[in-house]
Amino acid sequence: MPSTKKVVAMILAGGKGTRLESLTKKTAKPAVSFAAKYRIIDFPISNCANSGINTVGILMQYESTQLDAYIGNGKKWGLNGVHCLMSTLAPKQTEQGANWYRGTADAITQNIDFLDNANPDYVLILSGDHIYKTSYSEMINLHETSGADVTISVIEVDPKEASRFGIMVCDDKDQIVQFQEKPKNPVSNLASMGVYIFSWKVLRKYLKEDEVNPDSEHDFGKNIIPQMLADKRKLLAYRFKGYWRDVGTLASLHEANMDIALDKGELNLYDDASTQIYTEDVYSVPQYVGKRGSIKRSIANQGAIILGDVDSSVISTGVVIENDTKVTRCVVMEGVVIKRGAKIHNAIIAPNSVIEENSEINLGKDEVVLVNTVNK
Amino acid sequence: MNKVIGFCNLHTEPHLGEITKNRPLAALSFLGRYGIIDFTLSNFSNSHIDNVYVLVRKGIVSIRRHIGSGSNFVNNTVLGSIQLLINEKGLSNKPFNTDINNIKENFDLDEFDFDYAVIAPSYFLSSMDFRPLIAKHIESGSAISVVYKHVNDADKEYIQCDKLKFDPRGRVIKSSKNIGRTNEADVSLETFIVSKKALKKIVDSVSKVSELYNIRDMVNFFIEEEVVDVQGIEFDGFVVPILTLEGYINHSLDLLNYHVRNQLFQENWPVYTTTHNTPPALYGKDSDVKNSFIANGAIIKGKVTNSIISREVVIEKGAEVKNSIIFTRSVIGKDVKLERVLCDKNVSISVNKKLNGEPNETLVISQGARI
Repeated sequence: MPSTKKVVAMILAGGKGTRLESLTKKTAKPAVSFAAKYRIIDFPISNCANSGINTVGILMQYESTQLDAYIGNGKKWGLNGVHCLMSTLAPKQTEQGANWYRGTADAITQNIDFLDNANPDYVLILSGDHIYKTSYSEMINLHETSGADVTISVIEVDPKEASRFGIMVCDDKDQIVQFQEKPKNPVSNLASMGVYIFSWKVLRKYLKEDEVNPDSEHDFGKNIIPQMLADKRKLLAYRFKGYWRDVGTLASLHEANMDIALDKGELNLYDDASTQIYTEDVYSVPQYVGKRGSIKRSIANQGAIILGDVDSSVISTGVVIENDTKVTRCVVMEGVVIKRGAKIHNAIIAPNSVIEENSEINLGKDEVVLVNTVNK
Repeated sequence: MNKVIGFCNLHTEPHLGEITKNRPLAALSFLGRYGIIDFTLSNFSNSHIDNVYVLVRKGIVSIRRHIGSGSNFVNNTVLGSIQLLINEKGLSNKPFNTDINNIKENFDLDEFDFDYAVIAPSYFLSSMDFRPLIAKHIESGSAISVVYKHVNDADKEYIQCDKLKFDPRGRVIKSSKNIGRTNEADVSLETFIVSKKALKKIVDSVSKVSELYNIRDMVNFFIEEEVVDVQGIEFDGFVVPILTLEGYINHSLDLLNYHVRNQLFQENWPVYTTTHNTPPALYGKDSDVKNSFIANGAIIKGKVTNSIISREVVIEKGAEVKNSIIFTRSVIGKDVKLERVLCDKNVSISVNKKLNGEPNETLVISQGARI
């Protein structure tokens, strides 16, 4: 039963993604390719569509042109229907002057008009760079029935990794009693996924106060959540079960791609139509595997031409892998050409890059390298 | 500027046996992801003809399912449209279900605003820019133009198509059926360019000539009786004729060849189609694929050679598929061996079965069959 409450999703997609190196030189991190045919942001947007959330704002700042064009009117995710509104929200000039988004919370504050117009009961805050398939309905229901001011989606992480996340301590009713943003000495392994549902009236009040606080970094994790905790507001944890990855580094991006190529079964793109991921479909012939080509333990998208030997890799649209090549454990992004005789291992190959004839790249190495011949 | 509209004519489609029993040829799957009709609709779109009427003879539901709102094909989704038209009276009286009667029933040509119409069938696949052809038509001053192709394989292909002869000015003086007696011939691609006045003449003539005639018959009658000038315009591009079942299969498999494929699919001439948001194809650790097209959503765990695998097909471990075409959502079970087989949609073949056709005698497995 869908909730009768109105939910608006705001997807934070403005980060620079420095740790993805030159992959994000001309592309915002959420627009980076993933799993042969998707872009990272397809995941949270499709999750919204599949949860019946029809109003979605995309907050962008860094290299927004490509991302803005990709989002369009939301048609790719069906969010151009009569009850839908898909809007890209970049920083703008106002009477008060022109401002960059000063933090995740400030990005929302600067678009308070968008939310006031939409007039939601709840606001769902999402990150544009997480890979997971879900319906938010269960979390929304929990938020509604519990009467919480904010519900935060949490996942158990490896204790050694815990200091990379916002860490929470809960009581026996999953009410959050302590919150540490990227702590040196984490007190638990319950990490925030950066997915929040706020009651809009409460959030609005906190954003307005935060806006004029000179000591604030205007960040949800650093400022808004700790302030609400200090005010003894009701903060609830929602325990997420399933596959979830932050693909903010080359290694994690590579690993998440491999999870799908090697069909590990944790993130299944092939079952359950109710959590399908939607994306842009290009008009090209199906992928072609040549007479001497070979492809195993891999995924490949339409328009790819595979004449060489591919193992444990991700082959995107329009990729050409010529004869006598060997491609292993690679994430080959759209339009890449791997020329005759080249051998390449454990690499992410940036869009439209060309791997020269007979070159040997990263053979026998365990560490993932980025190859980018376009935006160096 | 002249206003040009397009008619995609499905009234004269050939029958390909079992696979066109329950669907129009236009809606038949091609190369694992297209529908036959995509080529003609894309030709209209790429030629900037944005008002297209599909003259449907039967199976309007499969056509509508494939085309959807048409927004995948038109340039401007407000100004452009693809409308499906049927001849309602003809549904209960099949001999009268002609393309001319379809136009007649759906349009008052006096009221309808256009200067020229391009009428093209679905079954000659090509990348055809109509714009230079329209320019030639206007330049010729003829009432009607027919687009033809000079071919060297008329003894094997284009059987039962119209073979044209011309006067020195390029006007058609004779049209006769190709029965395969010569290799060389100028065959009609059944693509007509007409002015509004000429289309009106075609429509108005049925009451005097024959109510059973399609446009193709009426144009042949005009040529025979010298009623109006019919100009021949040559198309020198690549054409894939889909006229018989074996032709459909052989031409599909020929397109596995890169050089053949590059003649049909031209740069800057995309072939649009309905998209399905299927995930990329997944290859297992024992997959062995050679010289084949694999569409998205397919899961390949077995061996596939010289074949075309459509969307969401599963080829289980140990299965071997050779010289075959497998349509959407069929499942080829463990250790199954198929050679020269066409599996229609949603077929399921259980473990260990061995099914064989012969060259030019393809074994066709009907939609939804459980074997």
